Amino acid sequence: MSSNPLPLLQGTLDLLVLRCLSGGARHGYAIASIVREQTGGDLSIEDAALYQSLHRLHRQHLVDAEWGPSENNRRARFYTLTSAGRTRLREETANWRRYARAVDAVLVGA
Amino acid sequence: MERRKSFWYLRRRSVESDVDEELNTHLEMRIEELVQSGMSRDDARREAMRQFGDLEGTRRYCRQQDQTRENVMQRTLSFQDVMQDVKIGARSLMRVPLLTATIILTVGVGMGATTAIFSAIDAAILRPLPYANADRLVRIYTDTKPYKFRFSAVDYLAFTEQQTRFEQHATFTDRSVSFSNGEVAELLRTRVVSWGFFKVLGINPVIGRDFSEADGRPGTPPVALASYAFWQQRLGGRADAIGKPVRLDGADYTVVGVMPASNGPIERRYDLFLIQQFTPPPRKGPFFYSVIARLPQGANRALASDELHAMNRALFPLWKASYQDEKATWSMEDLKTNLVGDVRAIAGLSLAAVALVWLIACANASSLLIARVNGRRQELAVRAALGASRGRVIRYLLVESGLLAIGAAILAVGIAYSGMQLLQTLGATYFPRTGEIQFTSTLALVMLALAVSSALLFGLVPALNVTGGTVDESLRSSRSTTASAGVRRMRRVLVAAQFAIATPLLIVAGLLLASLDQLRHVDLGFDTQQLLVGSIRLPSAQYQQPERMTAFWNELQRRIEGLPGVASVAFSDGLPPNQVGGFNNFDLEDHPAGPGGSQPVTSWLSITPSYMRTVGLKLIEGRLLDEHDIPLGLSLVVDRAWAKRFFPNQSAVGKRLKNGGCTTCDWNVVVGVVSEVKYGGLDQPDMGAVYQTISPVPSLFLIVRTNGDPLSVAPAVRQAVRQLEPAAPLSNIATIDGLVDQSLVRPQSLSMLVTTFAAVALLLSIIGIYGVMGYYVQQHVKEISIRMALGGSRNDVARLVIGHGMAVVISGVIAGTAIAFAATRLMRTLLFGVGAADPMTFAGVTTMMIAVALMACALPAWRAMRVQPAAVLRNE
Repeated sequence: MSSNPLPLLQGTLDLLVLRCLSGGARHGYAIASIVREQTGGDLSIEDAALYQSLHRLHRQHLVDAEWGPSENNRRARFYTLTSAGRTRLREETANWRRYARAVDAVLVGA
Repeated sequence: MERRKSFWYLRRRSVESDVDEELNTHLEMRIEELVQSGMSRDDARREAMRQFGDLEGTRRYCRQQDQTRENVMQRTLSFQDVMQDVKIGARSLMRVPLLTATIILTVGVGMGATTAIFSAIDAAILRPLPYANADRLVRIYTDTKPYKFRFSAVDYLAFTEQQTRFEQHATFTDRSVSFSNGEVAELLRTRVVSWGFFKVLGINPVIGRDFSEADGRPGTPPVALASYAFWQQRLGGRADAIGKPVRLDGADYTVVGVMPASNGPIERRYDLFLIQQFTPPPRKGPFFYSVIARLPQGANRALASDELHAMNRALFPLWKASYQDEKATWSMEDLKTNLVGDVRAIAGLSLAAVALVWLIACANASSLLIARVNGRRQELAVRAALGASRGRVIRYLLVESGLLAIGAAILAVGIAYSGMQLLQTLGATYFPRTGEIQFTSTLALVMLALAVSSALLFGLVPALNVTGGTVDESLRSSRSTTASAGVRRMRRVLVAAQFAIATPLLIVAGLLLASLDQLRHVDLGFDTQQLLVGSIRLPSAQYQQPERMTAFWNELQRRIEGLPGVASVAFSDGLPPNQVGGFNNFDLEDHPAGPGGSQPVTSWLSITPSYMRTVGLKLIEGRLLDEHDIPLGLSLVVDRAWAKRFFPNQSAVGKRLKNGGCTTCDWNVVVGVVSEVKYGGLDQPDMGAVYQTISPVPSLFLIVRTNGDPLSVAPAVRQAVRQLEPAAPLSNIATIDGLVDQSLVRPQSLSMLVTTFAAVALLLSIIGIYGVMGYYVQQHVKEISIRMALGGSRNDVARLVIGHGMAVVISGVIAGTAIAFAATRLMRTLLFGVGAADPMTFAGVTTMMIAVALMACALPAWRAMRVQPAAVLRNE
């Protein structure tokens, strides 16, 4: 585990955000927490980039947004996957796996 | 805080505040988490901001993303709304097929016909001539007000010798020539043009070369340019036709080029263009040459005009021996004005006729839709109560009328298309340049404007009218009687307007029909039945000597007279009803024009002595022309109109005159007076005609009086001509009755057109008044029942209903008559034998309209009389 977190490409971030929403409706803060927990700090994801990603996905109609009460009864904006978003998540996951396999194969083979 | 909560999920917020709130919430949540893990609030805030990164950039980015999404959604939503309206509108129109069909059909016909007539006006008046820089082209003519005469060879030669302001100029004159390809001879239409003709117009040959200056010099072998159609049809469309001779009137012309297929009014429909070669003329006349010229860019037209006047003044003294009209001068006018001529009256009339029908159709549609929308007042009120804004309801109604307008427009495109086809072929009798009729962008705009204004006319009026009342009022009144008073008034106004438009249309149609009737009863001055006519042209190369021509005409007369069924035969250079042989000026011995005065001009016909007998003119005084008059040709016979015009109180017989302005010629003597014949058209007054014995000419009309059906003799006559001279085709075979009918085609079809549209206008108005009165009775059933229950008689009811309807009709008719009174004066030139304010027509038309409207009101009135008051009142 290196001490310097890795920077992230925009498309990859969108993929991660979509993945986080596959479990159900979440607000931005919750998504940020999940990503941080699951990567254990290996990836450097600024909150700024995360929100930009959410609004971008919303504009593309891959996610829906709706105001609702948070766990602490705050007013928060909750995001859910649309069916287009679900499809995109499937495709991008498969793409990522293929990409990773291919890169890995070369690295191992060399 | 508590109070705001309940609005969280409903409140609509702006994109900006949404983003702000979302980002703030995030930061607060992070701060709270950090504080809970033991950080001070200030440190926590700093740390949260650090973790977040670029806050302002993100705010901007998110707002922009959200705004984009919002805009797209808005557009989609309103589009979906409109599509929804379209779907509902189409479905509800389908449920009333009769109404929908009526509106689409009437408005569509109105729009289509208006567009078609406009296409003719566009081609004739609005568009420039199809020549390069056509606005610089002018026509130059001999100006003896009110007549415009052509130039003579002397005039044109003098004009070309001068250094003028005109950049280019050319002359042209028409000639029909017989063309023979070895087997059959036929007559061709040719235009004999000076060498610069096509250079003035800016047209280049597609193959071969244009005429050159050398071609125009006398003595150069004659050359011709073929029209594209002639090249295709008679010369096989082959490039090697260039340089080959064509045989015209027995002489060879070399074809040097082929002109492009063109549609311009002064070169279309000619088979060949022959080169004009001028030899110095012995006298000033005759005036056969039309002159066109091109002015340079930005030329001063007044100066060019002055130049023409000056040239004419300088030329005048040189030819005084053969031309004395000092008042005549040279003038010019715009070529388009010259070609288009006076079509404004006829164009305005036909456009007004069709456009008014369109307007009536829209008024009718409007009235029908008001009734329909009014029936749905409650439905619309419910919509409004459920939150549909007034704008939304109006939009729905406009979408519905838009659908109707689109349907009408589709029909109109078809009607306009076939109308334009019809105008291209048949419209030539009314409009110049019909060959140039085509679908232009101007026309598309006119169509669009008509469609949009149709939709607004019959959509907006009902929509504004119906949504005008308050929702509450509409919902509460279970019967719409009270709320719809304004609507009924609107419909009455519309129907009155329909009658006000239909009345002048019908009056115009009536005037046209009356003048057509007058034309039909014009006395041509002789028995028009059993007269066969035709024209013959001798090939000039073989018939150069006068003796040969005379021998031919004499022999032909002898042979045709020998045919069975032929009573007598004559030749002339003019024919009734509208072929004037020519005009001639002359100087009377008793009333000399004097120096500088204008000599009188009348029709001048050359005839064989048998002409009077063949046509059947009555001798009134003196004697007819006979064989002895032929050698000298000095005896004249005049008609009664001529005698009355020049010698009102004495006998014209024995009077002497010199013709053609010739001062050195022998005196002509009037030897007889005969009855009048129309030569200048049925609608022209008799202005006098002079008959002279024929001198040998190559081209004449043949007139045969037959004992039976004239056309049954035609084959034998044609055969006789062919036997005598195969190269002289007999053409334009017709009967005088046929020619008379032909000359009536134009007034006939104009009055048919206007009458048809007037009838449609009347029909629509009748539908209008019938609809309004039917609705009136339906709405007043209760009131009528009460009247009857209280002892009112059925006649009272009928009087009430009819009186109500006729008040509308009569106010419309009165307004329409006033309009007609002002408008018909503009069409005076189209009338013959009928005044523009002809009281018979005005009275007849208005009476007829009121009578028809009365019938249309009678049916609803009869229904009102049948009302059973007991039954109606029990149901209340």
